[in-house]
This record gives sequence, structure tokens and C-alpha cells, in this order.
Amino acid sequence: MIQSTSKKTVQYDDKWGITTDKTSLFLGLLALITLPLLVQTNDYILQVFTHALLLASLALAWNFLGISGSISLGHAAFFGVGAYGSALLSLEQGLSPWLTIPMAGLFATGLGLMVGLICLRLRGAYFALATLAFVEIPRVITDNWDALTRGSLGLVGISGLPTLRMGAWHVDFGSSITASYYLVFAYFVILLGLVTFVFRSNMGLALQAIREEEIAAEAVGIHVNRYRLLSLLMSAFFTGVSGACYAHLVRYIEPGLVYGLHFSAVPMIFAICGGRFTILGPAVAALVLYPVDQFIFHPLLPAGHEFLYGAVLILTMLFMPNGFWGRLRNA
Amino acid sequence: MWTTILVSGISLGSFYVLVALGFALIFGVTRNFNLAHGELLVLAGYSAYWLWKAWAFPFVLTFPFAILVILLICLGLQRLFSRLRDPIELNSIVLSFGVAILIQNSMLFCFSGDYRLIRIPILNQGFHIPGFYISYGQLTLFFLSLIILGILYVLMYRTYLGKALRATIQEKDAAALAGINVTAMGTLAFCIGAVLIGLAGPLYGCIHYLYPSTGHEATLVAITITIFAGVGRLGSIILAGWILGLAESFTVVLCGASWREMVSAVLLLTLLAFRPHGILGKGEG
Amino acid sequence: MILLQLKSLNKTFNNFCALSDIDFSLSEGEIVGLVGPNGAGKTTLFNLICGRYRPSSGNILFKGIDITNLKPHEICRLGISRTFQSSRPFPRMSAMQNVLVGHIFGKGFSLHACPEDRQMAKELLEIVGIAHKADTPAGQLTLSEQRRLDLARALATRPKLLLLDEVAAGFSPVLVKQAIQLVNRVRERGVSLLIIDHFLNLSLKVSDRLLALDHGEKIAEGPPHMVMRNRDVLQAYLGLRHQDEEDD
Repeated sequence: MIQSTSKKTVQYDDKWGITTDKTSLFLGLLALITLPLLVQTNDYILQVFTHALLLASLALAWNFLGISGSISLGHAAFFGVGAYGSALLSLEQGLSPWLTIPMAGLFATGLGLMVGLICLRLRGAYFALATLAFVEIPRVITDNWDALTRGSLGLVGISGLPTLRMGAWHVDFGSSITASYYLVFAYFVILLGLVTFVFRSNMGLALQAIREEEIAAEAVGIHVNRYRLLSLLMSAFFTGVSGACYAHLVRYIEPGLVYGLHFSAVPMIFAICGGRFTILGPAVAALVLYPVDQFIFHPLLPAGHEFLYGAVLILTMLFMPNGFWGRLRNA
Repeated sequence: MWTTILVSGISLGSFYVLVALGFALIFGVTRNFNLAHGELLVLAGYSAYWLWKAWAFPFVLTFPFAILVILLICLGLQRLFSRLRDPIELNSIVLSFGVAILIQNSMLFCFSGDYRLIRIPILNQGFHIPGFYISYGQLTLFFLSLIILGILYVLMYRTYLGKALRATIQEKDAAALAGINVTAMGTLAFCIGAVLIGLAGPLYGCIHYLYPSTGHEATLVAITITIFAGVGRLGSIILAGWILGLAESFTVVLCGASWREMVSAVLLLTLLAFRPHGILGKGEG
Repeated sequence: MILLQLKSLNKTFNNFCALSDIDFSLSEGEIVGLVGPNGAGKTTLFNLICGRYRPSSGNILFKGIDITNLKPHEICRLGISRTFQSSRPFPRMSAMQNVLVGHIFGKGFSLHACPEDRQMAKELLEIVGIAHKADTPAGQLTLSEQRRLDLARALATRPKLLLLDEVAAGFSPVLVKQAIQLVNRVRERGVSLLIIDHFLNLSLKVSDRLLALDHGEKIAEGPPHMVMRNRDVLQAYLGLRHQDEEDD
């Protein structure tokens, strides 16, 4: 039998083959927790990393769908619905963001159900194109339904991130940049934990099998349509929640922004360039690329600094299809 | 009202045909979806605008320049696409998505986000015939699209080269076995596509404001028409273009201009939901 | 006991008739070889039984249950499993994971797998002889190893009936011998087999019965030595001239 000597074997651990490098994870989280202390006087750095964490969460949410092999180019639909859902509920009904943010996630999930019904029978390229088209629908509706959404003017004065009250003690997460940072960080960690749990469970195994060889997966007893729908709904939910967080973080949203290309493209790019076959990849890419974009390229090229994302995506597709973090883990 | 819808629908549709032809040809021959198509169109428009505005070139002479710019870029693009592995269709979508972002930001850097327009007054003037008002611009679009289609038809159906192109579109592997250089066919498709984009771009700059993020619309139009028409059929593309143009005109008159952008999206979704391989194309499986 | 029953099965694709009027039954414990030249409709028949295609008309009964309109994963859970003509492992997952997937999902849903699953998977990898490559990504295995992985994965779903598609195609005599041993081991586990064997190097040696197809029609059925002498079968494989020579 001919042995292939040049190929490296992949490290798989005892469970389901997506391992997490525990050391890097620990160090990374440690760095993120202590960041506000390290940059005490610099609010701008903290703001950038708050956004980076939000984008990292978005990337993780996108990858709920990405792990099953489907590529969505229109995730901003869920982001926008989440943003507008939470913003409108808190503005019109005066509800606390603690309530409106999860509810916004549910709105996004409802939209995800619609997408699923229309698009899930499609595969590969055609699914991607369908998502590209789909995002236009909530965008144009939001843009035109002035009575509800103030149309293209957008919504101003959205309430800030909520306050946590426990007995006599309370923390207003919207009051300072540091507080907002920690709330977003907490959300990110929770989502990361969830992603880890799902990816390492049988469901994660099923989604990977579907991605690898859908016909064989079905032949060994995996209910393909159900798993794909579930991954889409989870992805939609957390993307919607991220959108809601964004609305309360920046306190101003407009259709062109929250339904725009930026929030469709950037999480996808982080997931693909980081490594959509891994747990941490999308987050790593977000936490590296976004600060690089903001600290290095934005000052150099105030207009057009986002070319970075396009360039990184092209390089990844041509030279590192497993993503940066994926490649690093396999080496 | 109906005459307005008819005239603007057909002329818009004719323009959409020009926009979609390059995309459809490239996809047909190489199975690459070029999501940067709209951005290339806008780039061609910007190139023409630059020559026309900064160098006071007559508008007609901006076309060769625009074509040249897009030609060079498309040849480079083809090199990139050729390095992709299976599944080509999906990978080309992701790659060209990145290219689109790259081009969009380059245009943002070079031209800023301000709205630009190439003003050619004569195109807005027109004439009356009983019941209709047609502008010279609309007339130009209509006849230009027919002429281009005619040229393409002659190329595809009356030349040996066209035959090779059609063979590659229908069955790439069989064509290769028959001795056709499919890579060269791919290059040819990209070149013809580039010429078509270079022609449509400056026109786009006349009838529509130019700004970096407007390419997305055009890409969606191109995708919709290509999928509507099915792969490799020239005649279906003009029908698809006119139907889309009429649908958009109808929507604008009925609901208002801001709903126009949703039409192609809804049409594409309907197509994909029921017949991903095109209403007019061959059904598969 | 009759395990599988095909009643008047027909399948037409866009005016092309792939299978017409197939009647057949397979009993528990049998090994049946499905033979016939290229294009006879053998893989189409597999695809119908496994639910990948729906028949144009006719019924398929498994253990008495009508499975004609069921989906592939439901049919798998009932106890039919298959391998593919060109092997379809999950390339980026390890061999062990490939088999695990089969074991976990073959019979229903569970949230997390248990040590048993892993144990079973290991056993199966040993049975097919690729246990030493358990952690290699399946895409890096040789073709023969991938075929055997396919088999292990199919076995992991605990089937009562296993459909093997060209499991010995292109095998040297040595590998054919190994394949025969494998098939017998599978039979010892209480699995009935329906084997597609275009080259006949395997099925003649292991099958209890042969079912011969040509151009979508059943042309012969019975013990191997009888089917291979059958006039129509010889004609299908070798052509009319040889059939005339037989007469002489």
C-alpha cells in the first residue's frame, strides 16, 4: 500500500474533531477582560474593541449557518430586523432592552423561518444568490414604511444599553464606554460558549457531515433539512440579537446602514478568513482585522479603508481556504 | 400612463440587457459568477466621467477608454478565477464578492462618495408621436441593445468561434475533448464581457447617478436576468431584460420610485424558489 | 422471512425509461448479486430503494412496511444502508468520525454520543481493516481505504439490509479475496446483502442468487451458475455473436 508521506494528519481530540486550543482561548479572554485597565485613558481604543467584540459575535452567529456549508451573503437582513425590532419596541413601548433585545432576536428568527422556507431547498451558489437578493426586501420595506420606522431618516435617540439591578446594587451598562464594553464582552463569551457546545455536540457533527457530503449524510440517517433549518434559525436569532445590541450601543440606526453591505459582508469575511470549520476562527479574525482596519488603515485612508476586507477575502479564497486560524491549527 | 410604462420599461429593459449580457456570457462559458459585475460597470462609468469631466473628452470617445480599463481588469480577474477549486460557482461568488468590495473602496478613495452624473443634454430631449413621448436617450438604449445583440448573434451563431463558445457553454468537458481550448474560450468570454461592461458603464453614468455603492443594484439585475433566461440563450436575455424593465417601470408608477430596488430581488427569489435553472432555460433533473 | 419486496417498480427520467416493471424479493440472510452491463439501471434501483429517487410507479416494501415514499434518512433508520459507487466519505472528518456519524444517527437522535459509540466505531474500523488510520482525514485515504470506510460507516447504522454498490470494482484478485472475507463477516453479523457487481468478480463467488438487469428490465433471476448461462444475460454482456457461438 502506498503511504502518503507528505500530508500532515489533522489533530482531532477525544470528542468531535473541532477542538479548541484551550491555552490561546484562555490568554485571549484574559487579554480582553483586562483591556479596559490597560487602556485607562483611551476611550477610543475601548470603543473600537467594543465594536470588534460585537462583530466577533456576529461572525460567530454567521458561522452557525456556515458550519453546515451554506454561505449567506445577506445576513444583514437579520441584523437590521433585530436592530429595528429592539429600537422600535423600546422607543414606542418603553420596554427595557433586557426584554426588547431577546424579542428582536425572535423577530429575526421569524424572518429566518421565511428565508428557510423559500431558500433552503437551494444549494451552494444558488442559496448564496438567494440570500443576496433576500436582504433587499426588509431593507426596502423599512425604508418606505415611514409611519412605523421613520423611513430613510432612521431612528434617533434609542435608549442605551440597559441597567442591571440586583437588590440595592445596580450597573448601568449604557452609562460609560467601559460598562458597555463589559456587557458586549459578556454577550460574546456567552455566545462563544454556546457555539462551542453546539459544535461539539452531535448536532455539530451532523452539520459538518451535511457540509461534507450531503447525500451520504442523509443515507446514514441525518435529517438534512431539519438540521439546516435549525442552524439557520440559530444563526438568525443571534444575528438579530447582535443587531439589537448594536442599536442600543450606537443609539442611531438607519436602513442603509443596518441592512447594508457592511453588516452582510464583514461577519462573513471574518468567518471565512478566520476559518469556518473552527470554533474560534471567526472571532479571532474579527478581533484582529477590525482593530487593524480602525487603527491602521482608517487614519491612512479615511475613504476606502475597508478595501482591507475585500483583499483579505481574496487572499483567503486563493491561498488559505481553511482560513487563517484553521491553517494555524493544522500546521 | 401606460405609454410611459411601456416606453420607459422597454428602454430600461434594453439597458438591463446590455448590463446582463456580459455577466451571462462569462457565467455560461466559465461557470463563474462575477459578483463584482456591478462594480465594474460603475468603474467604467467613473472612467468615462473622469475623461469627460477632467479632460473634456467628447462623450463618444470615453467608450474606448472605459472598455480598455475594464478589459485589463477582467483579464486579471480571469487569472484569479482560474485558480479556484470546486465548487467553482460558489467559490467564484465569494471571491468576486471580495473583489467587489475592493473595487468599491478603490472608487470611494478615488472619487469620493459624491454623486456624479454625465450630463448629455441631447439624451433627455425627445420627440412626440401620437400618445408617446420618447427621449433620444431611450431611443439610443433601445437600438444600441438590439445592435449589440445582433453582433453577438452573428458571432455566436454564424462564426466558427461562436460555435466553439456555444459548445463550451453547453458541455465544457465534451468541448475540451473535441479539441476546443476551453481556457481560451474563458478568456474570450471575459474579454467580450469586458467590452460589454465598458459599453454599458458610460451609458449608466448618463442615466443614473454614479456613486461607489450603486454597483450592487446592477449586479442583482444581471443575476436576475441571467437566471431568468437560463444559460446560453441569447434571445431569452432580451425577453428577460424587457420583462424586468417593464416590471420596474410598473412598480415605480404604481408604488413610487423607492420600491424599484425590490423588484429584481423579488423576481430573483421567485425564480430561485421555483426554477433555479431558469424559466426559459433547459430544465435539469 | 421476506425482507425486501419490489412490486412493479418503474422509473422514468424525462422520457428515458431507466427501470420498467421490476418485481423482486429478498429474504432475510440472503446475499443477492445485482448484475448487468453499464446503464442497466442497477444504481437507479439502489437509489429508489434508499429513497433518493421516487419511483414513477410501483411499491417498495421493507419488513412489510411501505417505504416507497419515505426519505433517505427515515429509510436508514428503518434498517437499510448503502455504499456509493464512487465513495463518498466526509473528507475533512477523520475516519473515526465518519463511522461515528453513522453510528450516532443510524437509529435516531441523541444530544451527545457515549463511549459505546466510539467503541463500536473502533470495532468496525478494525473489521474493515483501517483502524490504523482512524485519525486520518478521510479525504487523505487511498481509494480502497475510502471504499472500506464507506462500508464501515454503512455498517455503523446497524442495518438489516446493506446495499453495496460496486464494492469490488477495479480490485486485484488479492483485494477481491479480502472483499469476499469482508462480505462474509458482514453476513455473520446478520446483515442481508444486495450487491451491485458490474464486473462479476465478486458476486459470482458470494451470492446465493443473482438478479440480472438489462436496459432497465429484469432478464434473469436465480442461482449464479444458472443466470450466467442464461441466453439473454450472455447477450447483454457479450453481444449476439457470442450467443450464437453458444448455440453451436
